[in-house]
Amino acid sequence: MKKILIIEDDLLISSLVQFRLKKDGYETILVKDGNEGIHAIDTIDPDLIITDVMMPFRSGIEIIHHAKKTKPEIPIIVLSSLGEEEEVVLEAFNLGVADFIPKPFNPNELAIRVRRVLT
Amino acid sequence: MKRKLLLFIFFLATLSLSFGQEGLLPFRDSAALIQELKLQEEIPSFSYKFFIPKVSKNSKIPGDSTFLWVETDTAFISKAFKNGTLIDSLYEPLKGDSASILFFVYEEKTNINGLRSYLETMYATGDFVLAEDKEQPENDILLVASSNNYQPLDAYKNRLLGDFKLLAVTLIILFFIFSAASMIIFMLIFKTQRNQREENIKNYEQEIIGPLTNLLFEKDLEEISQMSNEEISDIFPKSLFKKRLFKQVLIERIIGLNKKMKGEFKDKLKTLYKRLGLVELTKANLKDSRWDKISAGLVQVNEMDLGELINEVKSFTNSKNFYVRSLAGATLLNLSEKVDLSFLKDQDYPLSDWQQMNYLRIIKFVGSSKFLNIPILLKSKNQSVREFAIKLVRMLGRVDLIAELHMINEASTDDEKIELINTYDALGAHMEVEFINNCMLSTNPDLKKIAVKAAGNLGNSYSEVILMDILVQTIDFRLRRACLTSLSKLNTETFEKFVSTQPLPENQALKAQIQDPLLSNV
Repeated sequence: MKKILIIEDDLLISSLVQFRLKKDGYETILVKDGNEGIHAIDTIDPDLIITDVMMPFRSGIEIIHHAKKTKPEIPIIVLSSLGEEEEVVLEAFNLGVADFIPKPFNPNELAIRVRRVLT
Repeated sequence: MKRKLLLFIFFLATLSLSFGQEGLLPFRDSAALIQELKLQEEIPSFSYKFFIPKVSKNSKIPGDSTFLWVETDTAFISKAFKNGTLIDSLYEPLKGDSASILFFVYEEKTNINGLRSYLETMYATGDFVLAEDKEQPENDILLVASSNNYQPLDAYKNRLLGDFKLLAVTLIILFFIFSAASMIIFMLIFKTQRNQREENIKNYEQEIIGPLTNLLFEKDLEEISQMSNEEISDIFPKSLFKKRLFKQVLIERIIGLNKKMKGEFKDKLKTLYKRLGLVELTKANLKDSRWDKISAGLVQVNEMDLGELINEVKSFTNSKNFYVRSLAGATLLNLSEKVDLSFLKDQDYPLSDWQQMNYLRIIKFVGSSKFLNIPILLKSKNQSVREFAIKLVRMLGRVDLIAELHMINEASTDDEKIELINTYDALGAHMEVEFINNCMLSTNPDLKKIAVKAAGNLGNSYSEVILMDILVQTIDFRLRRACLTSLSKLNTETFEKFVSTQPLPENQALKAQIQDPLLSNV
């Protein structure tokens, strides 16, 4: 079973994403801020990371930096309401993220993208 | 020696008092003075002795040890007594012996006048009090006590109450202590309540997440819209739904999710909002007197597309609160494609740039400018609304409304004229050249400058004449540059001719700049 780490401070959004991905048979781990996210990357070995950008303590960009430095093989999908800000999107892609999904988003669309990244 | 000195001082004092305070004591004669002595238990430095003259050499000392008689050649003299009240009782057994009394002051013998002087001196200094005066206060106190009810005499008994300054300072300190204590208690209560509220919100969120997620993924839109009340009660217990805070949290969560979701999830959330009866809370918010509640209600109407509340929203478009009327306007524009801008026509308050920008953004997002009814705004009594209408014609590229704009050309203010010229310029309205020419002759420098710039694109031969006139008359560099730029755009030959006939160094420099493509926008 593929393991997906979801780093998102909005509990309702993360629960929705978790619910949708569980339906597709993935194991999911939820964390609610940047610090917990970095700790989770170091301690567990996820197959995919889904992260927000604007979060308490550490931003999503810092998480991507850390993940690419310590475990570069893990694909990352960014899920953020900063999708309209070109600089953020470009920086994320320059760091090597697999996909960028702007909010508002459709969980079904996210599920399709996750499947594509993991296959 | 010492005693003699004291006697001398006493003598001087007696002398001075006998002159200065004669008759101070109320004794009419020596009998009265003796009578007074009989009432005094003790007078400082005063004593008396009994004196019995010897009848013969063989007379014997009276056999009474009380007197401790001392025998002299001519008499028997008793010891000194101080207590005047004993005079009568001591004298009584001596009556038969022809006894008399000798008075002593500072152990020196004196007569009745000397004694009187001494007593007057003592009386003047307060060291001697008449027996009558000693008894009087006791009698008075008893009389007062018997004739008046008991009242505690607290004045000056408690120093704190007697000293006004001390009392004031104490009261101020007490006030501050009381205030500080009250504030601390208030803060503690407030913090406890807030913590409790936050704790409740967290709990409610936990109770909302699961059912809401299930609903969104397990049921399609039709199923949600057809849910019975029993089904809803199964998802969210009635006991929770009775709590206002729970409903508020639910509304916030649904609206928050609605902003971050798209596709069928948005529709599901809106349907769910209505099925859960949360519209009633929105209505209550709109009826509230507090502006923040009304704003929350307007946001709910806006986010959840509650078209049935459109009339309530309209009533806030002319609210005195800037935020409320801005939200109401934005909500009306967002709610339906068929909502026009007529609600702005009668608005009393000026439209700020922020409001205009916000409305324009929504109008562009909704993408249905045909139903906006812009011409009605041109008839508004509010200048900022008319200006907004002119800007909208420009921003939305509504060439079909140029004729409507033409009708207000003459009646408009200078600020409106600036917007009109900008619009004509942007839309290429050559038919308005006469209006632009007239504006070039205006005394308002801003209007003149805008008209000059527009003349470069829309002007005619008469515009060239006006431009040259302005160039001859004005010394304003920016206006001159604008005139020359417009003239060069209108007619290159006229421009060249004018510059050659007016060989000013500034004209040559401006010409060089205008004709240099690299400097054309500098």
